[in-house]
Amino acid sequence: MAGKRNSTLINAVIFIVLEFAAIFMLYSTRSLQNIWINKATHRVLGLIWQGGENIKSYFGLREKNRALSEENIRLSEALRKLQGQKSALTGAVADTLTGHYKYTPATIVKMSRNSQHNYIILDKGSADGISTKSGIVATNGVVGIVEAVDEHFCYGITLQNVLVSVSARIGHYGAVSPLEWSGRRSNLAVLKDIPMHIEVAQGDTVWTSGFSGIFPPDIPLGLTGKSRTVDGSVKEVEVELFLDFNALRYVAIVDNQNDYGMGGFEE
Amino acid sequence: MRKHYRLIYFLLVIVQVMLGNLLNLGPYIIISLLPLLILSIPIKHNDAAIMLVAFATAFTVDFFTHGILGLSVVALLPVAFLRRWIVVLVFGNEVYSRGEEISVKKQGLVKMILSLLIATAIFFAIYVWVDAAGTRSFGFNLLRWFLSTLISAPVQLLLSGLLDMGD
Repeated sequence: MAGKRNSTLINAVIFIVLEFAAIFMLYSTRSLQNIWINKATHRVLGLIWQGGENIKSYFGLREKNRALSEENIRLSEALRKLQGQKSALTGAVADTLTGHYKYTPATIVKMSRNSQHNYIILDKGSADGISTKSGIVATNGVVGIVEAVDEHFCYGITLQNVLVSVSARIGHYGAVSPLEWSGRRSNLAVLKDIPMHIEVAQGDTVWTSGFSGIFPPDIPLGLTGKSRTVDGSVKEVEVELFLDFNALRYVAIVDNQNDYGMGGFEE
Repeated sequence: MRKHYRLIYFLLVIVQVMLGNLLNLGPYIIISLLPLLILSIPIKHNDAAIMLVAFATAFTVDFFTHGILGLSVVALLPVAFLRRWIVVLVFGNEVYSRGEEISVKKQGLVKMILSLLIATAIFFAIYVWVDAAGTRSFGFNLLRWFLSTLISAPVQLLLSGLLDMGD
């Protein structure tokens, strides 16, 4: 059986070699066939080059995505700085922390999504200036908090972890309350402990408050949904998160440069 | 082994050269004996040897005919490559196991003409297409292929009797 297969293969090789020799003869005769073969060769080469370019371009997408993600993070940082300056100029309450966050682009090495205590591992560590209690953000939401740092990697817990709570604000000047993952759906979170007298309309945007010192203010988190009363004393509001954890690949680690030792006070 | 086989083969190559140089039946009809020559090669030869013989035969014909060098070679090599497939399809596997020769006397008229039609159709499909080199319409090529196959196959059948001589 193997011998027959080998024989077929050898015959095919001989056939291809002889056929190419014949085509070369036709090509060398400087006839009409010469032009025809030239045209066909160029067409085939064109297709091969185009295919090669397509493959190269496909495999270059990862690098392009990374570059775009970094560019996006830089622009977001610049925008937040400008917003802070604008607030200060217009006499509004300026967040003193705005503009003091350092952003480090990172790629997700591993991320769990199917437990109640989900975690994330990023490709940046202490060698890149990353420290614990730094925030992990994407352009459209909060991803998690760095918990442990190695030289070249860091480990964090994601917002899809029941232990994580993010200080959030309803609208730019609304009530502030802790935002936690619902644990039921990947993109559903809950704003907790909202006083009963505060009315929350459905569809309001929820932003980071910046009070925790971990995340900069005004990162969009999601939209408010249904609310319900808990224990007859406070309200809980559902939040549909903007961030799609399943499509996440690149993030930024934010480090508050002007912590002023507040962490020590909080402890 | 058929007696004088090589001599008759050589003579048929000369006939093919003469047909190519002297016979002009218009733009639509080409007469070729080359598929018959390849089909008639004794069954004991392996496929690689048959392809080399096909190459040499077609090259000789192209060289001595006022044609394009390589044209018959390009068309005849696939016939040689597919010869085993044609033989098994038309005559069955037994031909190889018994080592029978391909001839009208052994295989019968119907099977012989069928095998010649298949081999000739493959030959002219490539020959006509390469000869046109993109300058002729599909309709012209199709008619040329059809008429050339239709006329060449019976001519080859008639001449196949020569190769049976001394069997």
